[in-house]
Amino acid sequence: MLSRTLKGILTAASMAALTATAVQAEEKHKVFLSMSYIGNDWQAEAANMVKAMAAHSDFADKVDLQVQVAGPNAQRQIQQINAMVQAGADAIVVYPISPTALNNVVKNACNKGVIIIAYDGEITEPCAYNVTIDQTETGRVTAEWLVDKIGDNGKVLVLTGVPGTSVDAARTAAAKEVFEAAGVEVVGEAVGMWSQAVARTELSKLLATRDWDDIDGLWLQVGCYTANAMQIEAGRTPEQLLPCAGEGSNGGRIQMLPVGTEVEGASGAYAPLGAQRISYASPPYAGGLALKLAVSMLEGQEVPKLTTLPLPLVTSETVKLCETGSWEEMKAGCNAFLPSIVSNPGWFASIYSADTPEIGLNAALVGQPEL
Amino acid sequence: MSRTKAPTRQKEASSMQIKQGLRRYQAVIVALSVFVGLFGLTNLISPYPISYFDISFMASGGMTLALAAMGQTLVILAGGFDLSAGAIISLVNVVLATQMDPANFEASVTLWTMTGIGVGMAVGAFNGFFVAILRLQPIVVTLATMFIVQGLTLLIMDKPGGFVSPSLGSAYLGDAIPNLLPASIVLILVVLVFWFWLKNTRYGMALYAVGSDPVAAEATGIRGTLTLFMTYVLAGGFYGLAGVFVSAQTGSGDPLVGNSLLLPMFAAVVIGGTRLGGGKGGLLGTVFGAYILMIVVNMLLTLNISAYYSTVAESCVLLLAVLAGSMSKHSPLAQKLQGARDYLSARRKGLLVSQRDYVDRRLSFASKTLSEATGEHVSWFRKNATTLRYTLPAYVALLIVLIVTQLTLGNVFDKFGYWNTLLVLSSFLAILALGQGAVILTGGLDLSIPWTIALSGILVAGIVQGSDAALIYAVPIVIAVAVVIGFLNGLGVVALGLSPIVVTLAMNGLLQGAALLWSDGTPAGFAAPALRWVMTGRLLGVTPVIPFLIVFVIFAVLMLGRTAFGRRIYALGNSEEAARLSGVKTGRVLISVYILSSLCAALVGILLTGFSGQASLGMGDDYLLPSIAVVVVGGALITGGRGHYLGMLGGALLLTAMQMLLAGTSLPYAFRAVFFGFVILAAVIALREKKG
Repeated sequence: MLSRTLKGILTAASMAALTATAVQAEEKHKVFLSMSYIGNDWQAEAANMVKAMAAHSDFADKVDLQVQVAGPNAQRQIQQINAMVQAGADAIVVYPISPTALNNVVKNACNKGVIIIAYDGEITEPCAYNVTIDQTETGRVTAEWLVDKIGDNGKVLVLTGVPGTSVDAARTAAAKEVFEAAGVEVVGEAVGMWSQAVARTELSKLLATRDWDDIDGLWLQVGCYTANAMQIEAGRTPEQLLPCAGEGSNGGRIQMLPVGTEVEGASGAYAPLGAQRISYASPPYAGGLALKLAVSMLEGQEVPKLTTLPLPLVTSETVKLCETGSWEEMKAGCNAFLPSIVSNPGWFASIYSADTPEIGLNAALVGQPEL
Repeated sequence: MSRTKAPTRQKEASSMQIKQGLRRYQAVIVALSVFVGLFGLTNLISPYPISYFDISFMASGGMTLALAAMGQTLVILAGGFDLSAGAIISLVNVVLATQMDPANFEASVTLWTMTGIGVGMAVGAFNGFFVAILRLQPIVVTLATMFIVQGLTLLIMDKPGGFVSPSLGSAYLGDAIPNLLPASIVLILVVLVFWFWLKNTRYGMALYAVGSDPVAAEATGIRGTLTLFMTYVLAGGFYGLAGVFVSAQTGSGDPLVGNSLLLPMFAAVVIGGTRLGGGKGGLLGTVFGAYILMIVVNMLLTLNISAYYSTVAESCVLLLAVLAGSMSKHSPLAQKLQGARDYLSARRKGLLVSQRDYVDRRLSFASKTLSEATGEHVSWFRKNATTLRYTLPAYVALLIVLIVTQLTLGNVFDKFGYWNTLLVLSSFLAILALGQGAVILTGGLDLSIPWTIALSGILVAGIVQGSDAALIYAVPIVIAVAVVIGFLNGLGVVALGLSPIVVTLAMNGLLQGAALLWSDGTPAGFAAPALRWVMTGRLLGVTPVIPFLIVFVIFAVLMLGRTAFGRRIYALGNSEEAARLSGVKTGRVLISVYILSSLCAALVGILLTGFSGQASLGMGDDYLLPSIAVVVVGGALITGGRGHYLGMLGGALLLTAMQMLLAGTSLPYAFRAVFFGFVILAAVIALREKKG
């Protein structure tokens, strides 16, 4: 009895869904987002920006966006992309867990006429579109900045990302090449997993047998914010903070502001310290831009296979506080946000792109587009 | 008369047989029906009819997991546990991707399949050697192997790339009969035929016998050692084949490709009706289990369920499938309900023991200590010989690590800074060791630790929002949540009679969903300054958490060693049945132990938040395997009943000291992983039980 009723409901529901999709299919493009892990700030922000882009008035009646999460499991992403193709996707925006493992499934999707566009990570299959920054360049430029600050033959600590990933391998290799050429010695190296929490543990381990004074500089893929906090805890003054090349978190950006800058909501280490920094990150707006490009392709425009984003580099000289964080304001050059608005110092601040006037601070924070 | 009765008796016998068969295959049948049901449902709700291509995709999509889970099933049938499975898949993948000639698009499928299986079997033999021949605990051996293999994999290939010939892809993902039968389905059938043959060989019989009762198996003349060794080798072969399949599917190499398959693999085995602990189950059920997990992913997509619920949905499928598979008159749940009914009716009739007059019927023991009995003074060392035997190795190893650190990096023995860091960093594992250790002492395992830590951290940071005053109510709230988590874990184990691994694995998924929903994907808020001070400030020259840790250690030692609760835990771990018959309320003790574990995890979550200043979603992920490792390295037996908290503390200090040593060197991460694995292996070899 129950099962028959249930079946009836389900059939009715699926019929309704069928008619609904049939109606929508005429007007809206079916676009899927296949994310990796949602367990960190970067991923959450990137997903917010994609959602905000889809909700923007330019896209809201063109795009029907569905978000799925594959976790850290490439196998599952393969299966998910297959399922999305089966579900009738027009385009799939992907945060690829592996640059190579998806190749076959992506090729198959392309053959069925589905547009595949990857952001941040890269898919090496030639039919896929990629929106990324040049990771080798990132490693090189930041290491050169550090060498410039500390001079040749200095001693540095290094925190890498997730071992076994292309992004980590490219950044670390490029940086080490620069260090070697300048005679800079890497006195300690640990795996930072791109997490402030891990950075804290690993830096503690590295410093158990040495002192901050024994080191000249830091090259940390993620961890400068934490490193500065630890130096202050260890009794060093803001002037003594070591030069640090690292992540583009808002906490780090605030620390780069000159000491004494009025900043609403600042507390503890999340405050202006005048830290010597170069701040970079894979920009979280890449997902939103990928969606925009996908839609323009669906509307018949040509898009290059590889979109290389400009490196979002901010140094202590170029850091500037935003008042509201609107796209217009960021266009004028601000790149750090008030702690009273962005309460999480690990939040990534590289959200401005000249190509995405649809999304600003609210997009990254809560998934709301600019008006 | 007898002539007329005989056929009915026969009929009865045959219907009995059918019933027995049904019961025996109940789990497989349930798994099959769940799979068919989900498949039908997906078909029903999907806007497009399912075509041959869709079936082909699904078959290949769940294939890697199915193959790997089949290998894992063999190990579990033999009473073991294999944590190295995912790592072996990655290893085979990178071996193939680096060794194949990029110019050769027609590489031999047989040759490379054999290579993959061979690599898998070689690692399996490594596991088998330590587990079967040296009789070490499988969970630790395979944990060590996992680290070693992960390191080797990164040495072979440090980033995704390489080339796998398309011939492999077309062989495994193409069609056996175009538009009728995908090659992957043929592969799974071939493997299943192999299994049904294997099951009926002498080895197959021995496998079930060894898994059910190794001692009895040994007594009936079964060569347990050989059977166990063979099992690990065969399982390695399955992982190898899974690695070959991944290579074919992806056409390239990725050193991390298999690592995340480990937990789904256990879920697939359990959903398929194989009992953790050994002796019951089979590979057919596992195949259905793997495909159920796969189809759930598709369903979530078709139903457009928020990503936050995906782990929740998977946990529910896991729990329901396992419950349905074990449902019978003899299931613990049914027995518990029956017991409760009996209790109530006995109470009504006034027959309960507790309702009778209390008379002290205890036998009077001539209680004598060892020295009184022998009449001579027994040294402290002799009295505690066993404990020392299992506790000391961790400290000896710690001393060696400290000396090596002093020699290579310096600043160990002459500066307090090193010790301060060592103790602060060890505090997380030391606290977890009490909870996980107590669970392990009862013969269980708590896999819900990672997200209990994360949820607690996120709650405390979110509630206090950087205010000291808010700690007064934030901490009790977090503790209350932890008690509920532990209680539910314990209830699942005791009342539903499910394996602790299943219950806590499902709980972990539920908690992940809860954490995501509560924080809406981005945890907000800060640790209160007081909390930060505890982890990073200074009190009389030391970090304030250190005195707290000392108090905690004293408390833990007293609780496990000097209280009735502690003794009951050990009693339970040695024999639950014996403990119950001696009057231990086993259910209550078990539930308390899981609550203790959740409380410890919550405490670590709070302290970690203080340490980092904020909470993050994945903050507990790095603590699950170490929490098990420190307990075992500290001398505890994974099957329960043996272990001392001071040993576990030594394990925590040793692991942390070793990581500090490795972090200070410029060795590449890959070497460190290999080295770490060998140290764990060396530690368990030192703890090996002497025969006889």
